[in-house]
Amino acid sequence: MATLHVLSHSPFSDSRLSSCLRLLGPGDGLLLSGDAVYALQPGTAQRQALDLMPAGIALFALAEDLSARGLDASPRAQAVDYPEFVELSCRFAKVNSWL
Amino acid sequence: MSKSLLIISRQAPWAGPSAREALDIALAGGAFDLPIGMLFLDDGVLQLAPAQRPGALQQKDLGANLQALPLFGVESLYASARSLQERGLAGQPRTPAAEVLDDAALTALIDRYDQVITL
Repeated sequence: MATLHVLSHSPFSDSRLSSCLRLLGPGDGLLLSGDAVYALQPGTAQRQALDLMPAGIALFALAEDLSARGLDASPRAQAVDYPEFVELSCRFAKVNSWL
Repeated sequence: MSKSLLIISRQAPWAGPSAREALDIALAGGAFDLPIGMLFLDDGVLQLAPAQRPGALQQKDLGANLQALPLFGVESLYASARSLQERGLAGQPRTPAAEVLDDAALTALIDRYDQVITL
Protein backbone atom coordinates (compact mmCIF):
# COMPACT_ATOMS: atom_id res chain seq x y z
CA MET A 1 0.00 0.00 0.00
CA ALA A 2 2.55 2.58 -1.10
CA THR A 3 1.60 6.20 -0.52
CA LEU A 4 2.36 9.24 -2.65
CA HIS A 5 2.85 12.16 -0.25
CA VAL A 6 2.12 15.55 -1.82
CA LEU A 7 3.60 18.70 -0.27
CA SER A 8 2.86 22.25 -1.42
CA HIS A 9 4.11 24.54 1.38
CA SER A 10 7.54 26.12 1.74
CA PRO A 11 9.80 23.90 3.85
CA PHE A 12 11.45 26.97 5.37
CA SER A 13 8.40 28.31 7.19
CA ASP A 14 6.71 25.07 8.02
CA SER A 15 7.38 21.60 9.44
CA ARG A 16 5.40 19.51 6.94
CA LEU A 17 8.49 18.35 5.05
CA SER A 18 10.39 17.21 8.14
CA SER A 19 7.34 15.43 9.56
CA CYS A 20 6.63 13.81 6.22
CA LEU A 21 10.22 12.58 5.84
CA ARG A 22 9.95 10.81 9.20
CA LEU A 23 6.77 9.01 8.16
CA LEU A 24 7.81 7.84 4.68
CA GLY A 25 7.79 4.09 4.28
CA PRO A 26 9.83 2.00 1.85
CA GLY A 27 8.33 2.29 -1.62
CA ASP A 28 6.48 5.52 -0.85
CA GLY A 29 6.79 8.54 -3.13
CA LEU A 30 7.15 12.25 -2.42
CA LEU A 31 5.89 14.89 -4.83
CA LEU A 32 6.78 18.57 -4.39
CA SER A 33 4.45 21.18 -5.82
CA GLY A 34 4.02 24.92 -5.33
CA ASP A 35 6.35 26.41 -2.73
CA ALA A 36 7.39 22.93 -1.58
CA VAL A 37 9.78 22.82 -4.56
CA TYR A 38 11.96 25.31 -2.63
CA ALA A 39 13.14 22.23 -0.73
CA LEU A 40 15.33 21.54 -3.79
CA GLN A 41 17.21 24.84 -3.33
CA PRO A 42 20.91 23.83 -3.45
CA GLY A 43 22.92 24.38 -0.29
CA THR A 44 20.02 24.02 2.13
CA ALA A 45 19.45 21.46 4.88
CA GLN A 46 16.15 20.59 3.21
CA ARG A 47 17.86 19.75 -0.08
CA GLN A 48 20.41 17.67 1.78
CA ALA A 49 17.65 15.77 3.59
CA LEU A 50 16.00 14.97 0.26
CA ASP A 51 19.31 13.86 -1.28
CA LEU A 52 19.82 11.49 1.67
CA MET A 53 16.46 9.75 1.38
CA PRO A 54 16.65 5.97 0.82
CA ALA A 55 16.84 5.10 -2.87
CA GLY A 56 13.54 3.19 -2.68
CA ILE A 57 11.63 6.43 -2.14
CA ALA A 58 10.83 8.18 -5.41
CA LEU A 59 11.05 11.98 -5.46
CA PHE A 60 9.12 14.14 -7.93
CA ALA A 61 8.72 17.87 -8.45
CA LEU A 62 6.30 19.73 -10.68
CA ALA A 63 8.31 21.17 -13.58
CA GLU A 64 6.32 24.37 -13.94
CA ASP A 65 6.67 25.20 -10.25
CA LEU A 66 10.43 24.59 -10.50
CA SER A 67 10.90 26.81 -13.53
CA ALA A 68 8.67 29.54 -12.12
CA ARG A 69 11.05 29.74 -9.16
CA GLY A 70 14.28 29.44 -11.13
CA LEU A 71 15.05 26.01 -9.74
CA ASP A 72 16.24 22.83 -11.44
CA ALA A 73 15.29 19.28 -10.57
CA SER A 74 18.11 17.65 -8.60
CA PRO A 75 19.69 14.38 -9.76
CA ARG A 76 17.56 12.78 -7.04
CA ALA A 77 14.29 14.41 -8.16
CA GLN A 78 12.36 13.73 -11.33
CA ALA A 79 10.56 16.74 -12.84
CA VAL A 80 6.99 15.90 -13.87
CA ASP A 81 4.19 17.75 -15.63
CA TYR A 82 0.50 17.62 -14.70
CA PRO A 83 -0.38 14.58 -16.85
CA GLU A 84 2.46 12.71 -15.15
CA PHE A 85 1.18 13.93 -11.76
CA VAL A 86 -2.17 12.33 -12.58
CA GLU A 87 -0.45 9.15 -13.70
CA LEU A 88 1.52 9.02 -10.44
CA SER A 89 -1.66 9.53 -8.42
CA CYS A 90 -3.06 6.43 -10.08
CA ARG A 91 0.14 4.41 -9.78
CA PHE A 92 0.35 4.72 -5.98
CA ALA A 93 -2.23 2.95 -3.83
CA LYS A 94 -3.17 6.25 -2.20
CA VAL A 95 -2.27 9.92 -2.13
CA ASN A 96 -1.71 11.82 1.11
CA SER A 97 -1.99 15.57 0.52
CA TRP A 98 -0.43 17.58 3.33
CA LEU A 99 -2.96 20.44 3.23
CA MET B 1 -16.87 -2.79 2.25
CA SER B 2 -16.21 0.88 3.01
CA LYS B 3 -12.71 2.21 2.49
CA SER B 4 -10.91 3.13 5.69
CA LEU B 5 -9.79 6.73 6.12
CA LEU B 6 -6.99 8.05 8.32
CA ILE B 7 -7.26 11.75 9.14
CA ILE B 8 -3.98 13.32 10.22
CA SER B 9 -4.62 16.45 12.25
CA ARG B 10 -1.51 18.58 12.72
CA GLN B 11 -2.76 22.04 13.69
CA ALA B 12 -2.99 23.55 17.18
CA PRO B 13 -6.56 23.92 18.48
CA TRP B 14 -7.38 27.63 18.71
CA ALA B 15 -5.46 29.55 16.03
CA GLY B 16 -7.40 28.62 12.92
CA PRO B 17 -10.12 26.44 11.44
CA SER B 18 -7.92 23.45 10.52
CA ALA B 19 -8.21 21.52 13.77
CA ARG B 20 -12.00 21.87 13.78
CA GLU B 21 -12.26 20.95 10.11
CA ALA B 22 -10.28 17.76 10.61
CA LEU B 23 -12.52 16.89 13.52
CA ASP B 24 -15.66 17.63 11.50
CA ILE B 25 -14.53 15.22 8.79
CA ALA B 26 -13.95 12.54 11.42
CA LEU B 27 -17.35 13.08 13.05
CA ALA B 28 -19.16 13.14 9.72
CA GLY B 29 -17.43 9.96 8.60
CA GLY B 30 -18.17 8.32 11.92
CA ALA B 31 -21.84 9.24 11.67
CA PHE B 32 -21.95 7.33 8.37
CA ASP B 33 -20.23 4.31 9.94
CA LEU B 34 -17.09 4.73 7.85
CA PRO B 35 -13.98 3.13 9.35
CA ILE B 36 -12.16 6.28 10.46
CA GLY B 37 -8.88 6.71 12.29
CA MET B 38 -7.52 9.97 13.60
CA LEU B 39 -3.84 10.72 14.15
CA PHE B 40 -2.66 13.77 16.08
CA LEU B 41 0.71 14.87 14.72
CA ASP B 42 2.98 17.92 15.21
CA ASP B 43 0.98 20.79 16.79
CA GLY B 44 -2.12 18.61 16.48
CA VAL B 45 -1.18 16.89 19.75
CA LEU B 46 -1.83 20.22 21.51
CA GLN B 47 -5.54 19.51 21.01
CA LEU B 48 -5.16 16.72 23.58
CA ALA B 49 -3.63 18.93 26.29
CA PRO B 50 -5.42 18.93 29.66
CA ALA B 51 -7.30 21.83 31.30
CA GLN B 52 -7.91 23.95 28.21
CA ARG B 53 -10.41 26.78 28.84
CA PRO B 54 -11.03 28.59 25.53
CA GLY B 55 -14.17 30.39 26.76
CA ALA B 56 -12.67 33.88 26.54
CA LEU B 57 -11.70 33.28 22.89
CA GLN B 58 -15.39 33.03 21.99
CA GLN B 59 -14.81 29.87 20.02
CA LYS B 60 -16.75 26.68 20.28
CA ASP B 61 -15.05 24.20 22.55
CA LEU B 62 -13.13 21.73 20.43
CA GLY B 63 -12.81 19.53 23.50
CA ALA B 64 -16.50 18.69 23.45
CA ASN B 65 -16.17 17.48 19.84
CA LEU B 66 -13.07 15.49 20.68
CA GLN B 67 -14.92 13.78 23.51
CA ALA B 68 -17.72 12.99 21.06
CA LEU B 69 -15.47 11.00 18.72
CA PRO B 70 -16.07 7.61 20.41
CA LEU B 71 -19.83 8.31 20.47
CA PHE B 72 -19.68 8.69 16.69
CA GLY B 73 -17.81 5.42 16.34
CA VAL B 74 -14.38 7.00 15.89
CA GLU B 75 -12.43 5.00 18.43
CA SER B 76 -9.11 4.63 16.63
CA LEU B 77 -7.22 7.63 18.00
CA TYR B 78 -3.45 7.91 17.77
CA ALA B 79 -0.83 10.47 18.78
CA SER B 80 2.80 10.84 17.77
CA ALA B 81 5.17 10.09 20.66
CA ARG B 82 7.74 12.46 19.17
CA SER B 83 5.26 15.33 18.83
CA LEU B 84 4.09 14.85 22.43
CA GLN B 85 7.68 14.71 23.68
CA GLU B 86 8.70 17.87 21.77
CA ARG B 87 5.79 19.81 23.27
CA GLY B 88 6.22 18.67 26.86
CA LEU B 89 3.05 16.58 26.81
CA ALA B 90 4.61 13.13 27.10
CA GLY B 91 3.84 12.71 30.80
CA GLN B 92 0.57 14.66 30.83
CA PRO B 93 -2.93 13.23 31.00
CA ARG B 94 -4.62 13.48 27.61
CA THR B 95 -8.26 13.70 26.62
CA PRO B 96 -9.48 11.83 24.78
CA ALA B 97 -7.08 8.95 25.33
CA ALA B 98 -5.07 8.25 22.19
CA GLU B 99 -2.66 5.44 21.50
CA VAL B 100 0.88 6.84 21.47
CA LEU B 101 3.01 5.61 18.56
CA ASP B 102 6.63 6.12 17.53
CA ASP B 103 7.63 7.13 13.99
CA ALA B 104 8.00 3.56 12.69
CA ALA B 105 4.57 2.64 14.04
CA LEU B 106 3.09 5.75 12.37
CA THR B 107 4.51 4.66 9.01
CA ALA B 108 2.87 1.26 9.49
CA LEU B 109 -0.38 2.97 10.56
CA ILE B 110 -0.55 5.06 7.36
CA ASP B 111 0.19 1.95 5.36
CA ARG B 112 -2.76 0.14 6.92
CA TYR B 113 -5.43 2.63 5.85
CA ASP B 114 -6.99 2.79 2.37
CA GLN B 115 -7.03 6.59 2.25
CA VAL B 116 -5.18 9.32 4.11
CA ILE B 117 -5.68 13.07 4.38
CA THR B 118 -3.49 15.53 6.28
CA LEU B 119 -5.01 18.78 7.53
